[in-house]
Amino acid sequence: MRPFAYSRPETIEEAIALLDSDARLLAGGTDLLTLMKGDIVAPAHLVDLKRLPDLDDVIDLEEGTVSIGALSTLAQLETDPLIAMHLPALAQAAAVAATPQLRNMATIGGNVLQRPRCWYFRNDDVHCWLKGGEECFAREGDNRYHAVFGESRCVAVHPSDLASVLVAYGATVHYRDSGGVQQIGIEDFFSPPTEGRRTEHVLPAEAVITRVTVPMTADGARSRYVKAMDRKVWAFALAGAAAVVVVDEGVVRDARIVLSGVATVPWRARAAEQALIGATAGPEAFAQAAEIAAADAVPLAHNGYKVPLVTAMVRRALAEAGV
Amino acid sequence: MAATAATHVPLTLTVNGRDHRLMIEPRRTLLDALRHDLDLTGTKKVCDMGDCGACTVMVDGRAMYACLLLAVDCDGRDVRTIEGLAQGDALDPVQEAFVEHDAFQCGYCTPGQIMSLRALLDADPEPTDAEIMRAVTGNICRCGAYRNIAQAGRRAVEIQRARGEGAAS
Amino acid sequence: MTTLKITKGEEKGKLQLEEQEPEMAAWGTDAALAVVGQRHPRLEAIEKVTGRAQYSSDVRLPRQLYATVLRSPHPHATVAAIDIAAAEVLPGVHAVICAENTEPIPWYHGSFVFDRTVRLIGDEVAAVAAESEEIAADALRLIEVTYEPLTHVVSMDAAQAPGAPKVRDEGNVAGEPKVYSRGDPDEGLRQAEVMIDRTYTTQSALHNSLEPHGCTAAWDGQTLTLWDSTQSIFTVREQVAQALGLPEHRVRVIKQHMGGGFGAKQISWKQDVIAALLAQRSGRPVQLMLDREAENLVVGNRPVSRQRVRLGATRDGTLTAIDADITQGIGAYMTGGEASNVSGMYQTLYRCDNVRTVQTPLYTNLNPGVAFRAPGHVEAAWALEQAMDELARELGIDPIELRLRNYSETEQLEEKPYTLPEGLRLSYERVREAFGWDTRERPAGEGRVRRGVGFAAHDWVGGSGSPPGYAWIELNADGTADVVTGTQDIGTGTRTGLAQVAAEELGLPLEDVSLHLGDTSTGPYSPVSSGSATQATLGPAIRAAAIEVRSQLLQIASTAMEIPVPRLSVRQGKVLVDGDERRSTPVKEIMRQVAPHTLHGQGARGANPTEKVARTFGAQIVELEVDTETGEVTVLRVVTAHDCGRIVNPTMVDSQVIGGITQGIGFALTEERVVDDRLGLVLNANMEEYKVPTIADVPPIEHAAVDVPDPEANPTGAKGIGEPPLVPTAPAIANAVFDAVGIRVLDAPISRHRLLDLLTTQREHAS
Repeated sequence: MRPFAYSRPETIEEAIALLDSDARLLAGGTDLLTLMKGDIVAPAHLVDLKRLPDLDDVIDLEEGTVSIGALSTLAQLETDPLIAMHLPALAQAAAVAATPQLRNMATIGGNVLQRPRCWYFRNDDVHCWLKGGEECFAREGDNRYHAVFGESRCVAVHPSDLASVLVAYGATVHYRDSGGVQQIGIEDFFSPPTEGRRTEHVLPAEAVITRVTVPMTADGARSRYVKAMDRKVWAFALAGAAAVVVVDEGVVRDARIVLSGVATVPWRARAAEQALIGATAGPEAFAQAAEIAAADAVPLAHNGYKVPLVTAMVRRALAEAGV
Repeated sequence: MAATAATHVPLTLTVNGRDHRLMIEPRRTLLDALRHDLDLTGTKKVCDMGDCGACTVMVDGRAMYACLLLAVDCDGRDVRTIEGLAQGDALDPVQEAFVEHDAFQCGYCTPGQIMSLRALLDADPEPTDAEIMRAVTGNICRCGAYRNIAQAGRRAVEIQRARGEGAAS
Repeated sequence: MTTLKITKGEEKGKLQLEEQEPEMAAWGTDAALAVVGQRHPRLEAIEKVTGRAQYSSDVRLPRQLYATVLRSPHPHATVAAIDIAAAEVLPGVHAVICAENTEPIPWYHGSFVFDRTVRLIGDEVAAVAAESEEIAADALRLIEVTYEPLTHVVSMDAAQAPGAPKVRDEGNVAGEPKVYSRGDPDEGLRQAEVMIDRTYTTQSALHNSLEPHGCTAAWDGQTLTLWDSTQSIFTVREQVAQALGLPEHRVRVIKQHMGGGFGAKQISWKQDVIAALLAQRSGRPVQLMLDREAENLVVGNRPVSRQRVRLGATRDGTLTAIDADITQGIGAYMTGGEASNVSGMYQTLYRCDNVRTVQTPLYTNLNPGVAFRAPGHVEAAWALEQAMDELARELGIDPIELRLRNYSETEQLEEKPYTLPEGLRLSYERVREAFGWDTRERPAGEGRVRRGVGFAAHDWVGGSGSPPGYAWIELNADGTADVVTGTQDIGTGTRTGLAQVAAEELGLPLEDVSLHLGDTSTGPYSPVSSGSATQATLGPAIRAAAIEVRSQLLQIASTAMEIPVPRLSVRQGKVLVDGDERRSTPVKEIMRQVAPHTLHGQGARGANPTEKVARTFGAQIVELEVDTETGEVTVLRVVTAHDCGRIVNPTMVDSQVIGGITQGIGFALTEERVVDDRLGLVLNANMEEYKVPTIADVPPIEHAAVDVPDPEANPTGAKGIGEPPLVPTAPAIANAVFDAVGIRVLDAPISRHRLLDLLTTQREHAS
């Protein structure tokens, strides 16, 4: 890592005041430090949030939502009884992410801000489009782990398991910037990188996430997250699916299906959701929705396998959620 | 602490119950601080990117990768390393079980494996087999001693239990 | 006492030296052994579980500096200029070296430590020693290098294409293709009633030893000491001495504990010389450990292979021909550590009169290929053992039965019998029985998740050991013994297994024996720890030394106890009197009577038998599940049996077995170096995207030990086991996948994406 200054502000205002284009926020550090060690980013200044009194790792019920403090770790999400009761797919996603050690370190705030694992992006000798260059090297290179959905110049996939679940649950990201307390729906928070903004989210550079809130699901809602990996544990998703379905008297009243590992952002399978709503919950409808979820995939040269994998993941998420 | 441009910053690292006052660069990881500033070389550097688990230590009681923690960030936190487990010649139950079950070959991942299991047994002295396996899913053993590591984990539970009963009686 | 037999060698200027020991009765099947054959924890176990074991990376010397290397970002380029001025003046930097300020030191063949031509991404361009790794890295960023890029090739196809860019001046074929032929393979293929003709490929696997290559170098006057992470301290000494123009006794190489090598640490790599030069320039000790990326870019890998295999057989399963055309991509350099003989198993595993192998190594602009645990055999087994499975299915013969019908009790290269001709048959029998092969249930071929079983066999050319190799023993005045060798324990249990041999022959309990190794200045020459040969090479030398010491001890005891030597023996630390148990006397009491004198013995490894050939063999069965929807393979169970002769320590052998199979599971399913051809860039030179198995990927492994001594192989009857267990794992998995889903995966590994693509193709064909 290149040299940098380190500070541990006492208040969130102080933290925000310290933020400029050369500064980065440090929480769990599990993504930021790998980016710095790889010389992908080289901030002059790290602002450590972990002991900021204004931030916490409290998970609580609040006005019909589950409120998750930004410093909550993945280990907490995996084991917290409130999460298990109200947002089981979030616990499932946390449990299949990374390793026990990383889950003890990584925070939910950092998780939604993490950068892609694309092997071109992560190589400091490759000046790819996402890092401000001209070319996406994965598009014509080895793209076995890359996107099958979306139209961004970048074909890296979003690495987070949690993110797709949060989108499925319709979460809200709360943050502070110089203008005060702000909030943004998670679906708007994630946004494919553009010419002018080469990140996977729209959070302003000078903002601090304070918490994530997730509305309590409706009665009869069931949810599930599943993912496929190259080995049994400790790998990013080749493809994953988060499903939240509301079933009433055997009929699907509402459905959210969000895919991970297949696009630059968590990918909502809207057509599959529509096909499901109103259908009789069961293997037939789930299989059909799963086919639809993968139907408009446009694989690259080396990731055609993700298409049947998406189908398999969606079917399983629905089958295991909807019973 | 205010922003500082100084190349070195003061901190106190509490390792295995002892306080160490250090002046180090903010970019120094906990792993390098242990290995270079404190000469505690039992904790191993393998990938330095959080991909292997060889640098697992306990921070405030939880297993973490020392390569992805800044030393400054550990100021005042309770760090425990492999050097802090045995009491003189008396091995920790996990260490003893590793010897019994040949749960290592080259030994380079061993301190990390042991610390992961120590953290588990501190949190839950009676874990299930699945929990034992799960506790070391973040520790690569390239020699492939996994089957023996799993057995050693189970054995460590027994040894710890027996010692506890011995102490109680 | 060793006597020397000296004869003129076939090679001019070379003599053949054979060290002959007095007749040593081999430990046969019925030998009553007290220490050998017993389970015992590793002698260094406490050091390893407490973190006290000192590896090369753990050396901390006063004023020690840390070094790092600037590496080429181009796969092929000439280095036009290097400007190190800014790096040299950075505070904390003590030395910067590169081609501009360092005499050219020859390295590899036809290259230099700092070459003006770089031939792969990662080639060494400059190096810095500084007060910390962080400062050294800062200094690297201040070095300005002007490269003139050249065209590159990284795939075997590209290297063979007409007009391909040349990796080396002599072209892209590295040396001459190795051709072997016996009988008439073409005629054998013509006579075949059934033929299998397939082309298989294997990937490049990265060793990823957890301890990277590296060393700590310190000068004391004219003597250089290297704490090096190596499988061969004497090879490093020789190569470093030669590179630096030093006599060998001025270079001391130390390796006490080793964080894995797996074949990649058999030679001196550039970091040894670079660290030594930096230490010389700076006048301070220098530690240079490779980072993980460099570890995966420049210091070896299992070379990629493409193998076209043709097997011919008659309807009854008799092989009429074996023909293999093998191409390997060996990277940019021949290092001397390759030893990847892919051809060998085709030539020897099965009885066949008509065999041809052609092995062509190709240069590419990538990491040089080196030995990786059972080099060549792992690659060959992937192809040959799948082809045998296909043949068995084609013929409708049980795969084990087909192998029994082509059983060879002789080594067919030299047409000499094996020392233990039933070794492979015993392996078949043990694994067959332990798995329950003949009573296995045939799983239904329906459903989303399907189960399959697969079988594969192997032989291994190493494991028998060979001279030279030496040992010294001192029996101390208190009755304990120091056994001194110059070998190294690379994590295999060498220290423990050899100490058991010494304890056995000395008649001492194991705790009274210390086994010293890993230091060129205190131990006699020992060869590289490779070929699974160390136990079989040094065990007999240790026995010889111990016999000498024991003989001296008994002479002294005879006088002390007033009993003739023939009535005396020594066991478990006591001198025993034949027929009179009460008169047994502890060794330490005998030795006390001559203190402070001590007893000394030395032993050398004698020659291997000339009329027979020693080999190791084995067989393995895998049971697994394939999820046809997701392509996920779950290995459920592995049963394995190996003829490794006498088992000296069952615990160490079991560990080698489970370790080898674990690596085999990785090779079969997830491990693969991925290269971007256009950029010449390894995309996964890390442990995130290069996926070695985790604990969750490894099923129960059952070692159905053969454990039959092979006393004709060497006087201990033990053969090596380090490499063999890995050889059959991947093809057994591939055969089980076929059994489960009817898909023959020709290209390793059977990764998710590959199997899913094949499953999709299969489904499309079916509909």
